Amino acid sequence: MQGEIRLEELTKAFGEVVAVDGIDLNMPPGEFFTMLGPSGCGKTTTLRMIAGFERPTSGRIMLDGSDVAQVPPHRRNVNTVFQSYALFPHLDVAGNVAFGLKYQKLTTEEKRRKVKGILDLVRLSGFEQRKPEQLSGGQQQRVALARALVLTPTVLLLDEPLGALDARLRKSLQVELKAIQHDIGITFVFVTHDQEEALTMSDRVAVMNNGQVEQAGSPREVYEEPKTSFVADFLGVSNLLDADASADGGDCSLRIGERSFRAAQGATQARGEVKAMIRPERIGVEPQGTAGDNRLPGLVERSVFLGGSHELHVRVLGGDLLRATIPNDGRALSVGLEEGTAVTLHLTPEGLRVLTPSQPPRSADAAERPVETAPSM
Amino acid sequence: MINWLRNPWGKPRWLKLITVVYILWSIVPVAIAILFAFNAGRSRTTWQGFSFRWFTGASGSVMHDPQYQGALKHTLILAVICVAVATPLGVALALGLQRWRGPGGGTVNTVMLLPLVTPEIVMGVALLLLFLRVFPEIGLGTPAQAIGQVTFTLSYVVVIVRGRLTSIGPEYEEAAADLGAPPHDQLFRVVLPLLVPAIIASAAVAFALSIDDFVVTQYLSGNASTTTVSMLLYASARGAPTPALNAIATVALLITLATLTLAFLVYRRFASGREAAAVAALDI
Repeated sequence: MQGEIRLEELTKAFGEVVAVDGIDLNMPPGEFFTMLGPSGCGKTTTLRMIAGFERPTSGRIMLDGSDVAQVPPHRRNVNTVFQSYALFPHLDVAGNVAFGLKYQKLTTEEKRRKVKGILDLVRLSGFEQRKPEQLSGGQQQRVALARALVLTPTVLLLDEPLGALDARLRKSLQVELKAIQHDIGITFVFVTHDQEEALTMSDRVAVMNNGQVEQAGSPREVYEEPKTSFVADFLGVSNLLDADASADGGDCSLRIGERSFRAAQGATQARGEVKAMIRPERIGVEPQGTAGDNRLPGLVERSVFLGGSHELHVRVLGGDLLRATIPNDGRALSVGLEEGTAVTLHLTPEGLRVLTPSQPPRSADAAERPVETAPSM
Repeated sequence: MINWLRNPWGKPRWLKLITVVYILWSIVPVAIAILFAFNAGRSRTTWQGFSFRWFTGASGSVMHDPQYQGALKHTLILAVICVAVATPLGVALALGLQRWRGPGGGTVNTVMLLPLVTPEIVMGVALLLLFLRVFPEIGLGTPAQAIGQVTFTLSYVVVIVRGRLTSIGPEYEEAAADLGAPPHDQLFRVVLPLLVPAIIASAAVAFALSIDDFVVTQYLSGNASTTTVSMLLYASARGAPTPALNAIATVALLITLATLTLAFLVYRRFASGREAAAVAALDI
């Protein structure tokens, strides 16, 4: 099976700025692989290097075993769906889709059949003669997809292809895109800053920050078992607290402020300065004065009704603000939800996760590595 | 009047007034000059009835006077050469400059714009010396005039085409490359088709600039056979002019206006309104 990508120590520097900092990633054939991160984390630059629009400063891009880092984009068997779609405005839908077929050795009849087949796949039959400007955003997105897929690439690169669409259309296209990927079985490399999109669509997610991969794994892994505070924070709302770790039997004892907590998750072998993390849905909200380990008192500072759940912002002893959600499951509440209510928060050992701090950003050392003088647009 | 100017609820009326006065000031003299092209008598100041005699009459008209005919023909020949050379050259330069991101690119960009701000008389004198001293084998005459006009119209072509290139952005080229098109095809299948409106607009501007030009064309003219309409107007204005002079000026004006209007319409057909307005603002 074709379509395997291996990035080896891939680096891209624009002048002094290191956009991608020596990343290693494995994308097995047929996988829906997502690079997730905030803007400026290097995900798009990485994608553009795989496509061939940017030349790496150093490192290798192995596509099915051969290094394509220095191969120009028109000779790579990968195709891209651009964030702005980049449909050729002077060509109609059929002309756009057939654009790349000119470079494949096919008869006119074969080309026509391919165009028809791919337009069927993206449900745009009958739109052949339309110009891009006459299509809606979702339709343009599907033309962009068809134009790339008709060339039967081994890898499809998608640069935030749903970013310009409204929320409803986004949802339905997420499902559609995932279904198409499943049907044709080629590798999809997807770039997004939307964590929900990444979690729902991907087989594997690489969370990026400051040009580095913070963590790569299945959506469940990166969400449930974040390795760094950045990953925990970026994937959903998390409570992060400064803590001091020491040994406590098999588990880890965390000193947070004045109190000690037992933590059973994450880097429990770590000692010294660490971050303690707990998701809002894992915090138990109990009446004031409830006794027991791993508890601390606080005051409800804000109370937000979210429909499916209720979110409390609780100022705890020591000054930290923690978020806790209470599911709206119809059961009677043991505590009041009004602002100003005194409560006790239960941070269970199973919910408390020990994290090591994220890597600080690195800037280029001109003496160590060659850098480009001109930034690219 | 003073009370009418005070209009606290709407836009200030004195701004309107200034606009109207300016438009009248700039159009009325031209309109009067055009009007006298249709005078039945020989006077350019006293109205003696309406007639087409200075356009099509048997003697002394634009159509039948060999001097006027020659000037008109030479003007159009120069304009066609200027467009034919400056447009492709300017497009090529614009494409090259757009990609020049290395050191020196900024300087070259500035130098490209210099002809737009250089006083024409300076360029005229400089080119005259060039053709007399450095390239005497070219000498003065039609080739020198054509080269001179191309020299300063080129900048306009480059500015217009680069404006369009910037608004197109690099993404279409990248998309073409991504779909397998080699550099040659990226240019001819994608970039040039997208540049069509800018190419037409810049060709029209080059055409209009060539027809209107006086200083450079005058300096580089060889003899009577290389006289253009603008030179003829200048030379005979102090002689014993007839309304035929107004008539030929009217013809030149109409050609320029028609070209620019056509270009504007074509450009608006292809490009967004904002770019069209920018090009319209470039016109003189």
